Amino acid sequence: MHSIGEQIKARLPYQRRNAASLALLIFAMILTLSAFAEVGLARDGNIPAGLFVYGGGLAVMAFVAYFVQMKFTPYADPLLLPLAVALNGVGLAMIYRLDLDTSADRKAAAAAGKKLLADAADAPSQLMWTFVGIGLFVGAVLIMRDTDKPDAPVSFTPKTAQRYTYLIGLTAVILLLLPIVPGIGQQINGARVWISVGPFSVQPGEFAKLLLVVFFAGYLVNKRQAMSLIGKKVGPISLPRARDLGPIMVIWFFCLGVLFMQKDLGTALLFFGLFISMLYIATQRLSWVVIGMGLLAVGVFVATLLPFMGHVNQRIDIWQNPKPYFDGGCLLDSGKVVPVNPNTEIYKKYLAQKSPSPGFSACAELGGEYSDSAQLMKGLFALGQGGVLGTGLGQGEPWRTPLSFSDFIFDSLGEELGLTGLMVLLLIYALIVQRGMKTAVAARDPFLKLFAGGVSFVLALQVFVIVGGVTRLIPLTGLTTPFLSQGGSSLMANWILIAILVRMSHDARKPAPQAIQDEGMTQIVSTR
Amino acid sequence: MNMDKPVRRVAIFALLLFFGLMAQINYVQGSQAEDLRTDANNSRQYQDLFNSPRGQISAGGEVLVTSKETGKDNPKYGRSYKDGPVFAPITGYFNGNATQVERAYNSLLGGKDKRITQQRWFDTFIGKKAEGANVELTIDPQAQRTAYEKLKARTAQGRRGGAVVIDVKTGAVKVAASWPSFDPNEVAPQTGEKGGKRLEQLDQGDGVIKPLVDNAFSQTFPPGSSFKTVVSAIGMQKLGLSISSTVNTGQLILPESGRPLPNSHDSGSCAGSAPLKGAFAESCNTSFAKMALDMGIDQLHEGAAKFGFGERVELEPDMYAAQSAVPVSIKDAKGNTVQTGKDGTARSGIGQENVRATPLQMAMAACAVANEGKIMNPYVVQKVRAKDQSELYNASAKEFGQAMTGDQAGQLEDMMRAVVSEGTAKNLQGMRIAGKTGTAEQGAGNPNANWFVGFSPVEDPRYAFAVMTEVGGGSGAGDAGPIAGAIMSKVLKK
Repeated sequence: MHSIGEQIKARLPYQRRNAASLALLIFAMILTLSAFAEVGLARDGNIPAGLFVYGGGLAVMAFVAYFVQMKFTPYADPLLLPLAVALNGVGLAMIYRLDLDTSADRKAAAAAGKKLLADAADAPSQLMWTFVGIGLFVGAVLIMRDTDKPDAPVSFTPKTAQRYTYLIGLTAVILLLLPIVPGIGQQINGARVWISVGPFSVQPGEFAKLLLVVFFAGYLVNKRQAMSLIGKKVGPISLPRARDLGPIMVIWFFCLGVLFMQKDLGTALLFFGLFISMLYIATQRLSWVVIGMGLLAVGVFVATLLPFMGHVNQRIDIWQNPKPYFDGGCLLDSGKVVPVNPNTEIYKKYLAQKSPSPGFSACAELGGEYSDSAQLMKGLFALGQGGVLGTGLGQGEPWRTPLSFSDFIFDSLGEELGLTGLMVLLLIYALIVQRGMKTAVAARDPFLKLFAGGVSFVLALQVFVIVGGVTRLIPLTGLTTPFLSQGGSSLMANWILIAILVRMSHDARKPAPQAIQDEGMTQIVSTR
Repeated sequence: MNMDKPVRRVAIFALLLFFGLMAQINYVQGSQAEDLRTDANNSRQYQDLFNSPRGQISAGGEVLVTSKETGKDNPKYGRSYKDGPVFAPITGYFNGNATQVERAYNSLLGGKDKRITQQRWFDTFIGKKAEGANVELTIDPQAQRTAYEKLKARTAQGRRGGAVVIDVKTGAVKVAASWPSFDPNEVAPQTGEKGGKRLEQLDQGDGVIKPLVDNAFSQTFPPGSSFKTVVSAIGMQKLGLSISSTVNTGQLILPESGRPLPNSHDSGSCAGSAPLKGAFAESCNTSFAKMALDMGIDQLHEGAAKFGFGERVELEPDMYAAQSAVPVSIKDAKGNTVQTGKDGTARSGIGQENVRATPLQMAMAACAVANEGKIMNPYVVQKVRAKDQSELYNASAKEFGQAMTGDQAGQLEDMMRAVVSEGTAKNLQGMRIAGKTGTAEQGAGNPNANWFVGFSPVEDPRYAFAVMTEVGGGSGAGDAGPIAGAIMSKVLKK
C-alpha cells in the first residue's frame, strides 16, 4: 500500500481533455474521408457519392458520440473514441472498396443487364451496423451512471454487473450454446458460430466475450484473496483449493468444449488467454500462467490425437509449411503431404465423377487429411504485393483473397496501405489497449480494475490471434478483426466495449469527491 | 492487495504481442515481399501481365505489335499483331507465356526491367506503374512479307520453307520468314480459353508441320549441296586447297558398301577432274565426298564448328536458334551411339547423312564468305526505347567468329559467283545474287529440301541469305533460287 502522499504525487489531477478528443476525432474523420476519396479516385476517377453517404454518415454519428461523451463523461479518456472511429472508418472504406457494387463500372454493367458475379462484401449493411454500434455506444454511455452515484433514478453502473456475476456467466454459456441449437444455429465457412435472428446472422460469441469478462471479474474479485493465499504448495507451485477453483474450471471447460464442438478455435484461444490473464491480474501468481500454458499444451496435444479434431493438426501443419497445401493438400499418416490440387490426376478423377469436393474425396482415397492453404497463401501474396508502401487504396487486387472483407481484411489493408499502413493500424490498436489498461490502473474499485484490464487484454489478444493468423505468425484461426471486419455482432460488441472503457475512464479520472467539510486530505477515502 | 502491478505487467505483455505482430509484418512485407510476389502459386504475377499495356514491337518504322484495351476487366489489355503469321518467327506470341522477342524482351516490354524502373524510380515510389518500352526490330518488313508470300507460293502442300537474310557487316537479321506459320492473334491474351485450346492444337501440329517451331531459326534440315560451301572452306584450311586446285570429279566408290556415289551429271566439270571452282559451280558430289573422306569426320566436325555448327546460336538474351550439326556420332532410336562411318563421312561431305542446318546457320556460312571470313553474331532487336523515347538499348555488332581467312573467303566468293555465271544456277542470272544451290534428299516419300545459300549484291556483297523450301522433285536453283532473288530485290531496294 502506498501512503496517501505518494498517491497524490504519483497521480496529478486529471483534467477534461474534450478539446483534444475533438481535434483527434476530426483527424480520424479526415482520415476516413480521405480513404473514401482515394477509393473513388483510384477506381472510378472521381470523388465517389459514397464519400457523402458513408463518410458523412459516419461523421454525423461520430460527432453525436463525441457530444454525448463530452456532456455525460467529460473526464473520459480523450483517445478512445477517436481511435475507435478511425479504425471503424478505415474498415468501412475498405469494405466499400471491396464491395464491387459501389463501383461505377459495376453499376453500369448492372444497368446494362449483364450477369454479375455476386460478391459478399456488403458496404451498406456495414454502414448500418456502424450506426447501430455507435448508437449502442451512445446508449451505453447515457445509461451507465457513475459508480459513486448509485442512487440516481436509473441506477446502472459498470459495477452493477458485479451483483449478477453468476447470472451473467450463465448468459455467456447460453449465448455460446445457441449456435449448436438446431434451427437457429448456422454453419458458415466451417465454423458453427452464427445464429439467425430474423434476417440477420448474429455471432453470439462476440457478446459472450464481454459477458465472460464480467463473470471472471466478478468471480475473481470475491475469491482472489482465498485463491492467492490459501492452498497447498506442491514444489514451487501453490495449488488453490478445489472449491475456489472448481466453479471457474467448470465454466472454462464448458466454454472450451462448446468451442471445440463448434470448431471455432480462435474464440477458444481467445477465452483461454483471457481466463489466464485475468487470473493472473487477480492473484498475482505467475504459477497460474504456467499452469494455464501447460493446460493449453495438453489441450492442443490431445486435440491432435483425437480423430474428429483433425483440423487442429492440419492448421498447425499448414502454418509451418503452407506451400504443398496450396489449392488442396493431403496430410498422410507418415507426415508426408501429397498435393491434391486441381492439376493432379486424382483430383481430375473425382472431378469427372462429379464429386462435390474432389480434393476431399481424393484425400480420403489416399487415407490422409485434406486441407487447403490457398486462403492463407493468397492473403500472404496480398501482403507481398503491398510491400512497404502499398498499392494505394483502390489500386490493388485484394479481392483475390477469399474472405478479403472479414477474416482477411487485415491482409487486404496490407496490400493497399502497405507495411506503413498496417503499422499505423497496429499502433491504433495498441493505443486503445494501453488506454484501457491505464483506465484499469486508474480505476478505484477492484472489480472495475479487473473488468477494464480484462476487456483491454481481450481486445489485444483478439487482434493478436487474427492478425497473427493471417500473417502466419501463429496458426490461422478464424476471428473477427475488431472494428475492421465486416459484421454487425463484432462492431456492436466492440463499440459497447469502448463505451464501458469510456465510462470507466471518466469514473476513474474525474476529481475525487469533494469533502463536505474541508478538513484536509485525510478525508479522502481510497477504496483501494 | 493491489492489482496495479499485474495490470501493468499484462499491459506490457499486450504491448509485446503487438511488437510480435509488427515484427512479423515487417518480415513479411519487407524482406519476404519479393519472394511472395514471384511465388509459383501466386497467380497475381500472371494476371498482372494483362493489367498494363506492353510496349510495341516495330520494324522499319512500321508498328507490328501493339497492346489494346479489351474493355474487359481481365485481361484488361490484349495484344494485336499486324500480319501476325508473317512476323511470328521473330515476334513470337504472348499470352502470359511468351516466345521469341516477346519472351526475350519480356521485362522491357512489360515495364518491369530494372533499366526502366531505375530511370523512373519516382514513379515506382509513388506506385505508378512503369510503362512498357518499345522494341524496334532489325527486320525489313517489306522483304519479310515478300519472303513469306514466296515461300507460301513455292513450298509443297503440307511441307516447310524458311528464309533468312542477314547484314554481313553487323549480323542484323533482315528477313526471317517461315512457311507455314501461325497467327499470334489467335492465342493472344484476349482470346481466353479459346486461345489456350488453339495453342495446344498449334503445339501438337500435323505431321512435320509444327507451326510454333519456325523454319528460319528453330528447325533444321539437311543442307545438301549448299553445305559444300562449308566443306570447301574446311578443305582450303585442312587440305590446303584453293580455287584453282585440281580435284577429282569422277566416280567415287564408297569404301564400306562398295557402291558408287552418284553425281547429278557426268559431263562438263564432273567428267573426271576439274579445278575446285568448276567442281563447286557444277556441284560435283564426288569431289566433296572425297574431300570429306580425306579429312575424316572429326576434322569436318571441327571445321564446321567454326561456322556455328554444334551450338545453339544466341540471337538475343534467352532467344536461341536450333542447333545445327555435323555429328561424329548420333544416338539411334534405341539410344545406342552410332559412329559416323566412312560412307557416312562421304555423304556428310555433301550435306546429307546426319548433317543438319537451320536456314540461319547457312546464312551465317554465307556471311563468312561475304565478310572476309568473319561471321557476325546474328541479332533481331536493333533498339529499345522507353515511352519517353529515351534509348534503353542499342544493339552493337558483335563478332561471332572467324571461320576462314579473308583470302579463302574471297576465293569462295568467286566460286559462288561462278555457280550463277557458269554452274548449276544459270537461271538466276540478273537477279543480283550469287550462291550455292542445294537439293537434299530427305528419305523415301519425302520431298527434297531445296536450298539457295549466298550473298547479294554480287559484286559488293552486303547481305548473306539462305532460302530453303521443300518441293517434291524440286531443285535448289529452280525453287529456292528465285525466292532468294525476289527477297533480295526487296532488301536491296532500301
